[in-house]
Amino acid sequence: MDLERALSKLRFDDQVIGYSLMTKAGRPFVSFAFPDELFPRVKDSINLYKSDLRLMTIDTDRGLVVLSPVDENWILTVLYVPELQLGLAIAKTKNVLRLLEGVELPPPPEEFEDAAEDNLQVLESIAMKAAATEAPPPEPEPAPAEALSEPSATADAPAETEVTSPESFSVTTTTVPERGEAYASALSLESDLYSEMKSAYRNFGFDVLMLVDGSKNVEEIADTMFQSTERVSDLLKWAASRKIVTVPEGGEEAVAAEEAAMGRFVKCPKFEGDLSKIQGPDIEIVKLCNGSLTPEQIAEKTGVAHPKVIQILAKYRKYGMRMIGKTR
Amino acid sequence: MVKIENPLLLGLYAQTVDQVLSSTSSIDEANQRLREIGKELGSQVYLNSEIVEKTKETVTTREDVAKLIDVVFRTLYNKRPTDVDMDTARGSVRIADKDCIWCQDVNLEGMRGFGYCEVFSGMIEAILEFKDVQAKVFQEASRATGADNCVWNIRLN
Repeated sequence: MDLERALSKLRFDDQVIGYSLMTKAGRPFVSFAFPDELFPRVKDSINLYKSDLRLMTIDTDRGLVVLSPVDENWILTVLYVPELQLGLAIAKTKNVLRLLEGVELPPPPEEFEDAAEDNLQVLESIAMKAAATEAPPPEPEPAPAEALSEPSATADAPAETEVTSPESFSVTTTTVPERGEAYASALSLESDLYSEMKSAYRNFGFDVLMLVDGSKNVEEIADTMFQSTERVSDLLKWAASRKIVTVPEGGEEAVAAEEAAMGRFVKCPKFEGDLSKIQGPDIEIVKLCNGSLTPEQIAEKTGVAHPKVIQILAKYRKYGMRMIGKTR
Repeated sequence: MVKIENPLLLGLYAQTVDQVLSSTSSIDEANQRLREIGKELGSQVYLNSEIVEKTKETVTTREDVAKLIDVVFRTLYNKRPTDVDMDTARGSVRIADKDCIWCQDVNLEGMRGFGYCEVFSGMIEAILEFKDVQAKVFQEASRATGADNCVWNIRLN
């Protein structure tokens, strides 16, 4: 479950003391090392703002608490170490929220034990049950005339369509997505398809679709939006499964190739020189060069752009920076 | 048979080209894929060679770009480019190599527009990026498809 993955990102973050996924009423549902004495205070703050709650920070003597609504039912509460800068704490929280963007969380069960360990499983089983009993996809409405952009889309609404899973589509950076039969209806604000997209991807889906014109490839779309190609690909795969866009279907070969992969061979920088000789902000990067992180991972961890990381690593070549080959 | 410099490199690169061609569906896509491979190689080259020590920290003018390319050629190929043209096209630097190392003894027919040596475009693009220069690099002509020189166009943004 993606929720678990997102939460584990917090769990393994050294600067996170604890976290709690809370209901909108301020009850802790799943918690990890979040100090109990802070719950009343957090609950008060949640109740103070109710539905108006946006991102909020509370400075406590245990550290900095960042509250952020995940959706209409859930609030993510993270306690960071006191010395962490406010901006960084907010950015870290936003990163986790971004991971949760495609995840549909079911509402909390009516009765549950506060912060019990197996609550996550409870949630998961609710989600599975909901998916199993979910009504077949509603008949897409015919696109309203004013929202049309392609004549074919305004023709008959696609009949009950077989939903192919997003994974069966192959999208690479050079794939050029084209508008599909449900394109216009996905962009019309009243359609069910639009609300489905909105709940899964917020406005990101709309923005990507606007850029799909049959000539831009995935990389160009991602560049235009300053987003990662992975995120754009994921959205496009979903859109392809709903016939909003068309991309080549992956087929079994592509899937088999992925499964057969033995892992990857990567090169990780290792600094064997004298750390005390390194001055300025570069030290943050050089410190992470322990031979187990790739430059990409260092870039992700520090928020520094990848080319910049390479630039810095190269600078310290003569002071003892080595590249170590590894498989993972 | 022509004497080939570094058959290991050529053998490995031929494998790469083969894999790219068998997994892409158009020439543009294949070119792009080779450039992407080149970009990854570019990081490795930059991290494992003396390019960084032999070049200025900031590259701003087209002359600087030309000098950087000169260093890249000397470091990787132990020679200088055949021609560096900064006048013909505005905003572009064109590099020509009449003895390109990547496509020695390769003759492709019916592959118009395929940049056999596009991998080098990606490498230059990456190295320029490490010098804070945003550029698009692509191969304009390749000896592999019948041209006299391999030519790369560095379009500076």
